[in-house]
Amino acid sequence: MITVTINGKKIELEKPVTILEAAGMAGINIPTLCHHEMLEPYGGCRLCVVEVEKMPRLQTACTQYVIDGMVVWTETERVIEARKAVLEFLLINHPLDCPYCDKAGECDLQDLVVKYGPATGRFAEGKRTHPESYDDPIIVRNMERCILCARCVRMCDNMQSASAISITNRSSKSFVEPFSGGRYDCEYCGNCLTVCPVGAIMSRMHKHAYRPWLIDKEIDTVCSFCGVGCSMVLQVRANSIVRAVPKTDKGVNKGLLCNRGRFGYDYVRSKKRLDSPLIKKNGNLEKATWSEALAYIANGLKRIKEMHGGDSIAGVISGRCTNEDGYVFQKFMRIVLGTNNIDSAAGFAYAPAQKFFEGIFGQGVTANSMHGISNSDGIIAVGGDPASINPVLGLQIRSAYQKGIPVVTIGYMPGLKRFSANRLITQPFTETTLLAAMVSELKAKRELSLEKSSFEGIIRTIPEVSINDAKDICGISADDMRGALDSMSKMNNPSIIIGMDILQRSEGHANLLLLAALIHLLNGRIYLLSELPNEQGLIDMGCLPDMLPGGRHLTVESFRRRYEEFLGVEVSPRQGLSLMEMIDGANSNTIRAMYILGENIVSSIPNSTYVKGALANLELLVVQDIFMTETAQLADVVLPSLSWSEKEGSYTNLERRMQRLERAVEGNGMEDWQAISEISKMLGFDMNYRSSRDVMAEIAKVSPLHKDIIYEDMAEGRCMWPYKGEPLRHGVSIEGIEVPDVQSLMMRPDKNRIYVGIDNPLFHADTLSSNSAALHSISPEPYVKISSALAEKLSIASGDYVSISTDAGSVELSIRIDSDLPENIVLIPNYFDDKGIFKIMKWKMHPVTKSPVMDFTEAAIKKIKSAAKEVSAWISLRR
Amino acid sequence: MLKEETVLEINRIKSKYHNGQSSLLPALYVVQREHGWLSQDSMSAVGDLLNVPIATVKGVSTFYSMFRHKPMGRNLIQLCTNVACMIMGAERLADILKEKYGLEPNGTTPDGRFSLVIMECIGACGTAPAMLVNTDFYENLTEENIFSVLEKYK
Amino acid sequence: MERFLLKNIENPNSADIFEYIKAGGYKALSKALELKPSDIIDEVKKSGLRGRGGAGFPAGMKWSFAAADPKKPKFILCNADEGEPGTFKDRPILEKNPHLLIEGMIISGYALEAEYGYIYLRGEYPQAKEILENAIRQAGEKGYIGDDVLGKGITFHLNVHQGAGAYICGEETALIESLEGKRGQPRIKPPFPVNEGFLSRPTVVNNVETLANIPYIMEIGADAYSKIGSPDCPGPKLYSVSGHVKMPGVYELPMGTTLREIIYTHCGGIRSDKKLKAVIPGGISTPILPADKIDCPMDFINMPKHGSMLGSGAVIVFDDTVDLVKVCYRAIKFFEHESCGKCTPCREGIGWLRAILERICSGSGAEGDIDLLMEVAKNIMGKTFCPLGDGAASVVQSCIKNFRHEFERHTGKHAKAGV
Repeated sequence: MITVTINGKKIELEKPVTILEAAGMAGINIPTLCHHEMLEPYGGCRLCVVEVEKMPRLQTACTQYVIDGMVVWTETERVIEARKAVLEFLLINHPLDCPYCDKAGECDLQDLVVKYGPATGRFAEGKRTHPESYDDPIIVRNMERCILCARCVRMCDNMQSASAISITNRSSKSFVEPFSGGRYDCEYCGNCLTVCPVGAIMSRMHKHAYRPWLIDKEIDTVCSFCGVGCSMVLQVRANSIVRAVPKTDKGVNKGLLCNRGRFGYDYVRSKKRLDSPLIKKNGNLEKATWSEALAYIANGLKRIKEMHGGDSIAGVISGRCTNEDGYVFQKFMRIVLGTNNIDSAAGFAYAPAQKFFEGIFGQGVTANSMHGISNSDGIIAVGGDPASINPVLGLQIRSAYQKGIPVVTIGYMPGLKRFSANRLITQPFTETTLLAAMVSELKAKRELSLEKSSFEGIIRTIPEVSINDAKDICGISADDMRGALDSMSKMNNPSIIIGMDILQRSEGHANLLLLAALIHLLNGRIYLLSELPNEQGLIDMGCLPDMLPGGRHLTVESFRRRYEEFLGVEVSPRQGLSLMEMIDGANSNTIRAMYILGENIVSSIPNSTYVKGALANLELLVVQDIFMTETAQLADVVLPSLSWSEKEGSYTNLERRMQRLERAVEGNGMEDWQAISEISKMLGFDMNYRSSRDVMAEIAKVSPLHKDIIYEDMAEGRCMWPYKGEPLRHGVSIEGIEVPDVQSLMMRPDKNRIYVGIDNPLFHADTLSSNSAALHSISPEPYVKISSALAEKLSIASGDYVSISTDAGSVELSIRIDSDLPENIVLIPNYFDDKGIFKIMKWKMHPVTKSPVMDFTEAAIKKIKSAAKEVSAWISLRR
Repeated sequence: MLKEETVLEINRIKSKYHNGQSSLLPALYVVQREHGWLSQDSMSAVGDLLNVPIATVKGVSTFYSMFRHKPMGRNLIQLCTNVACMIMGAERLADILKEKYGLEPNGTTPDGRFSLVIMECIGACGTAPAMLVNTDFYENLTEENIFSVLEKYK
Repeated sequence: MERFLLKNIENPNSADIFEYIKAGGYKALSKALELKPSDIIDEVKKSGLRGRGGAGFPAGMKWSFAAADPKKPKFILCNADEGEPGTFKDRPILEKNPHLLIEGMIISGYALEAEYGYIYLRGEYPQAKEILENAIRQAGEKGYIGDDVLGKGITFHLNVHQGAGAYICGEETALIESLEGKRGQPRIKPPFPVNEGFLSRPTVVNNVETLANIPYIMEIGADAYSKIGSPDCPGPKLYSVSGHVKMPGVYELPMGTTLREIIYTHCGGIRSDKKLKAVIPGGISTPILPADKIDCPMDFINMPKHGSMLGSGAVIVFDDTVDLVKVCYRAIKFFEHESCGKCTPCREGIGWLRAILERICSGSGAEGDIDLLMEVAKNIMGKTFCPLGDGAASVVQSCIKNFRHEFERHTGKHAKAGV
């Protein structure tokens, strides 16, 4: 026990902490500037000096640890003089432009000068000048206001690990800047904005738009962009979001956000938002009233159900919809329309993967806390760059690596380039071979059960692949492979982080089995990357053709009976169609009507032309969305939806944590579940919900998994799997696992050909990002990434334009060069209208997972024109 | 951007250290020797070679006064004017460099022959005033002998 | 006194390993390798050797801290970043007697069980870099350095790392940051480098001269060594003398030789037989002394009692032609240029001092400027992250304290342009 006395107050401590922390515990406030709770102590500003008895010099409270018997005084005359001196020093070069500085009112420096002075300055010389930088579309840099506390740089180096800004020069000539000196070449997480104590680094999005004290309200909610589910506070003024900020003590993100979360909110105010229901008349979508539109839909669905049966209708829901939307939607499809034809893009790979792993390892096996990643003893990332797909989860990996935890990455992961000692970038189609070689090596190191019915029995049947055989096929050196295996074999409980790319291949089902084998052999914890905020929630709500709410299989009669009893209606036992099958069905007239909730399936599935054709074939297409997407353009009726900040409800993130969305602004539209229940009523089934809370109350009764959950349980991120409910506690069984013939799936690429695959961009996420002016300004142009070797071969330089053609089509794009890519691979993201990779990919449904196959595709590439001006290599890749 | 032998030399330097970033200063020296200064492109090339973020490379290189961030003349005069040299007449030397060559501190002669940088102590206080021309030391300088020294550099 | 540190340096080939061995070099290493590492540390402790970089910390104690830390690998770093203006004492060792330093480092490496050593050499010594690298290569060829030092199964690798013009990197944690390829800004202590130094491993940072004393201790034994010079900080000391003396240069003298003896006996007195005005005794961050305060023994213990510090033992001598306001201004300009910029008082305060002094020197000093200088210096003194700020503040304080009349001549109604 350590006893310290601060300002005469005795404080007992279990372990040594800094004087600052000890004082904080005793409710004594010591002023700071360079200190920030998310960052390591720095000791630079010298404001937190205190007097410590028996120490002649003043000590900085942020760096000095307490020892037993220490006596500290925090507000003596000497201390106050020293603080005043520090503030005077800080002000000599400060522009004192508070009247038009956006920070005024929430500026630490301003507040401290008010408290300690000095009221007048004695500095008679000219101040340092440094013009404010507007080179960046998002971030304004004012280095005259900077006090060089380095909080931004430390945040960027140590928390975001992007190291995109640094202090340039030294002494009083120092200032903070990105490498270019102007525009940022960074990840635009904006976490530097969070920690800047003065008005030196600020967002342009609200420049001179308001004062902090003019904010009407602050709403705690979660982010709408990806499956991490970061907590954030929306600051609202005049029914408009002026800023999205994290809170350091809250949520899975603990004060961090990514570019999408922090800056992407502006799509809410986009002028392109749908503001009225539309009905197609004479080939044109024309404005209609809600009553007209809802009646149109009800009549249409009724007619088609009567003529062709409920199974001729299909529903698709987006992973951006809430649990409440999902629950009501599946109930509508199942009970009112009488079909299990419900699916979402979550069903493409996320749901099959989860189902597969749960089949082997038990329900809830993917429900692992994100913070466990940085505390595991090893990390294996495979199938897509976590730092792009789920950026804040990616930070956990970076932080783990910086702590010395071994990280193995399989596949192209630019966001983890500096954070992995073992980087294996495979040739197209060869992940299966690599994984099989890994399983072969690792299983040789241990005794496997001979029991045929156990999973180990299945692992035994996986064919042996030697490193020697694998190295040439995969295009990875034997040394690199051995290095990775060496790291892996030392892991006792690694985090295995799986992106969906590896599963959305022709050999995806084999990859899934091999990953399960790896997980078993290494005793791994599974994390499934999730692109959308509520993919997990849709699965839990039964928005799948074969699952009921609460993760119960439709085909198990006892489960189904329970729902029927509760709802008082029969549920069809026939498994519904997957999204891919629905589109095939639309194409072949077995599906007559589709109800699409928030999903832009024209651009989210290859091949866009085929999908468009199929949708055009429908008798009735209903689309509910916030934008006039390519899919909405084909609709017979369009209903305007509410954006995430305009609705209430809950999301379930990739850890299976349930979190609440709060309404921050009033939108012009109807909640998705509300519109559906109106239609339901017109069709004779009154769902009778007054609010999303009513929906959750029903979920809590119907779904055994969500038993007794109320919104209050979701506060502070506490609502973690398995909630208060009843997960399926069945014994692990391998019955029903199809063991693919791995050997036959070990493909080889033709090394003389070029293959095009999917890039996972950091700055984009479907229609939301393309309607966010902020995100668009960061990354305004579609691109193709190619290797430096290929660029040299084709004599093309950064910024030049090329055309990429496949059997399915061709796109023209500017190039970005990345020396990390193998020579024969080019990558295109899928997020720019008419320029995405799905324009040139074939339609192919996987026979086992029923998901779209997104294999590497043979392509031809040729230069079409040079860049308008020469682009330095360092600019090209990072933007 | 970098010559093949420069890359080889940097890779050789890397092997002397336990971590990539430790070779940053030596690598920047190699590149500065080749180009005379450190451009954005060359800093970026070094960063990529050592797997060090390029903003870090810039932050580090601008911290040290011997790294140059603009093009320099063919010969670099580094003249010390710190206290020991100052009291022995170093400032007069700076003046006459201006008179004779039009050379200002941090400037370059129009013909690109000389650049001048004013140095803090170069450890030749006992033989002050002193300067370095490129990597050669010249001590006990006077208004007379400084020109005969500089005439050797074309 | 017989010279050890500068032994043989008149020999034009003194840097060559053959000359060094001929003069008895590398014998101390052989002797040391017969001892247990802990015995060497005890011997260094017993010798009373204090670090020669400026702080005067007992070297043996520093070593024992690092030796006690179980983390591996360990590192021995030589601080050859002598940047303190007035200091050029290490240069003759680096350029003329490199093997002495290398021998000292190998012994230290063995004693500390450090398998890697780096010499952090200031960028301003390009010749020394080549000389050292050549000497290290020779030592490797002779088997003094490498994977099996003198067949004893001991590993020691040594490399030269060139700094690039940053005075602050003479501070040991800044030096380590710089060696790690970062901006040379000092680290928070604790943890001290002996526990978490280079790459967070136990690291000893010793000055060139300190390490060069190790072979001598091995050679003559701690007892004999501890009898040289001042009892509390014994050993030979290198004094580098510059400014207005007849014979400036580096002098190897017993620690505690008085300033007067250095100036008048060894350096031949003041040049052109002018009058002595003032002396900076230990590099420009040590307080300036007026002419009547030079009967002080130059060691770590006695100098503070006489109002200054030993620092690096860099004596700058000023005759009565010198304007000390200008010296003060130039010194502050130096500190402003060299401030790393991390902490507020140093970064902003020194710049302010410079601005006031600039005004004074240009003849527009105002009435209250001297008080303002003192006030700003007071606000820097003792409040900075590392001692650089203290050095700057003490220059101003000691100049004004001892030569206030010179400042008064330049300010207020006495102000006249062009100091």
